[in-house]
Amino acid sequence: MKITILYGTETGNAEMLAEDIQAELEGDHEVDCLNLSDMGAGDFDPSRFYLLVCSTYGDGELPASAQPFAEAVEAEKPDLSAIKFAIFGLGDSEYDETFNFGPKTLAELLQAQGATQVGERIAHDASGPDMAEDLAFPWAEAVVAEAAELIGEDA
Amino acid sequence: MTAGKIAIVGAGPSGCFLAQSLLKAAPELEVDLIDRLPVPYGLVRYGVAADHQGTKGVARQFARIFERQGAQFHGNITLGQEVTLEALQTAYDAVVLAAGLMQDRALEIPGGDLPGIHGAGAITRALYDHPDATPLPDLGPRPLIVGNGNVAIDLLRLLAKQPEELEGSDLGPVATGWLRQNGVEEITITGRSPAAQAKFDTVMIKELSKLSGVTIHVEGAGSSEDAAEAKKIEAVLALHGHATGPRRVTFRFGLTPLAVEGDERVTAMRFQTTAGEETLPCTSVLTAIGFCADGVLPRDTLLAGAQDAEAGVLAPGLYATGWFRRGPRGTIPENRADAQALATRILAELTPDPDKPGRVILSDLDARVDYSGWTRIDAHEIATAPDDRCRAKIASREEMLRLAREEEKTK
Ligand SMILES: Cc1cc2nc3c(=O)[nH]c(=O)nc-3n(C[C@H](O)[C@H](O)[C@H](O)COP(=O)(O)OP(=O)(O)OC[C@H]3O[C@@H](n4cnc5c(N)ncnc54)[C@H](O)[C@@H]3O)c2cc1C
Ligand SMILES: Cc1cc2nc3c(=O)[nH]c(=O)nc-3n(C[C@H](O)[C@H](O)[C@H](O)COP(=O)(O)O)c2cc1C
Repeated sequence: MKITILYGTETGNAEMLAEDIQAELEGDHEVDCLNLSDMGAGDFDPSRFYLLVCSTYGDGELPASAQPFAEAVEAEKPDLSAIKFAIFGLGDSEYDETFNFGPKTLAELLQAQGATQVGERIAHDASGPDMAEDLAFPWAEAVVAEAAELIGEDA
Repeated sequence: MTAGKIAIVGAGPSGCFLAQSLLKAAPELEVDLIDRLPVPYGLVRYGVAADHQGTKGVARQFARIFERQGAQFHGNITLGQEVTLEALQTAYDAVVLAAGLMQDRALEIPGGDLPGIHGAGAITRALYDHPDATPLPDLGPRPLIVGNGNVAIDLLRLLAKQPEELEGSDLGPVATGWLRQNGVEEITITGRSPAAQAKFDTVMIKELSKLSGVTIHVEGAGSSEDAAEAKKIEAVLALHGHATGPRRVTFRFGLTPLAVEGDERVTAMRFQTTAGEETLPCTSVLTAIGFCADGVLPRDTLLAGAQDAEAGVLAPGLYATGWFRRGPRGTIPENRADAQALATRILAELTPDPDKPGRVILSDLDARVDYSGWTRIDAHEIATAPDDRCRAKIASREEMLRLAREEEKTK
């Protein structure tokens, strides 16, 4: 399957995880990894599956690298009805009132343009005991398998 | 083709993000991070609060620089002592100063040097077991915090916390005991600006609403038409009346320091307000009003003569980034952006000279602690952490060096 990993980050943790996921999936799939700051609202390709990795910053806001993308999607309102995506969040439960609001905002934004979310929105907690990749690798494997049925294995 | 050789002085977030960016763009580079401490990561280890472990998570990225990207750590080496700037410039194609700013800015008013006045840097270093810290002082029952940035709020929060609120942190036994027994009854925090323009982030204020042993008063928070300012004021006002325990916390705004009063030690602080002068009695003053250079490196001279200070170019082949370049402003993300921009600039200007010896000038220094030395310290700190702590930091340089080296011998 053709996969694009898109990351939204403030201090680089999401970028590192996105690269780790890329390395993990690369053996079996054709995988690109791109900062959301380099992704245009109109750049989506229905033949690809999108894996988003996004943190939260400030008071429940999107991280800096995701903000221009979010603004562009809001302004341009691209038709994403043929797009399938899955999303993984990086957050910190110390910020309990706004835990993982960034990825939530991003998922809702894409869904509002018609995109379909595959699988659950999983969250890593920086104050928790797990390593992000230990949660993200099984998640990626599961959503990619699910997407393969929807998009087609050899798309 | 010869690989370029780059020495970065300071293994804090700025130096680490710079090394990360450089090696991502040009993996063949020889990148060396030099730090005066036997341990890396600068203020991520010694500034970011002990009860904000999530923020310290960036250290995992920094570990990758050494473990996978090929950078080398040369700890326990102070530029200006074990090695000179000239020696580095002779040995490397490029040298970057990312040494931060460690000294507390002084309170330059009458009485500003009275006993009982303590800088936030000195206090936080002592709280977080920095090897060069001075012992934690006696604050008396009524400390007064001067400053309204995030560092001031960190101090306030730690002083206000109950012992059980520090679970999961890496606060050591000395600091924990000091916080428990310091007898603080009332903390006043004063800012020069109105609340609307206070430098602290709104989330830092919201976090205070979780404190379990305080009674908070907010005086003179004012109002604002601006949405972001209004949000900040609202967060501050939401704390007013928060009453979960006996320790009093008072927020005051628009107070410009005039003088610290007292004969042998601090007894009060006098301020200018819009309504005239006001004197607040206190038993100690904690200043959180910024940082400056410690004088080990000629920062002012270097910056004054810089070829392009905005871009971090001091002279051909000599660069600066992070707090050392910009001054004591900006959080970790800003250092990342700064470092990424500088990496691009350095790579554009780099002309590798095959005759430059590079890291061999450091490898023979007796003082040197390498990355594996740090991993032994790190592993020991994590392994010896008590149940309610995530790490037991080693505070003494000798003990760090012993751990880094002794096991080296037994290998
Ligand atoms: C108390 C406090 C709390 C903070 N909390 C947060 C927070 O929660 N979140 C956030 O984003 N930001 C926080 N910050 C800001 C953040 O720490 C800084 O933005 C960041 O650390 C600056 O990075 P730096 O690499 O420029 O400097 P530093 O982190 O200070 O690193 C400089 C390094 O250089 C070394 N060095 C100094 N002189 C020499 C020399 N002569 N030779 C060799 N090595 C030398 C030092 O040992 C140090 O390791 C806090 C700052 C402070 C002071
Ligand atoms: C100042 C600050 C504010 C944050 N705010 C939130 C938040 O509101 N909600 C949340 O779930 N996580 C929050 N976080 C946690 C980050 O999302 C988490 O540390 C993540 O790993 C950062 O990833 P990044 O480096 O890719 O940006 C915050 C972290 C910091 C330092």
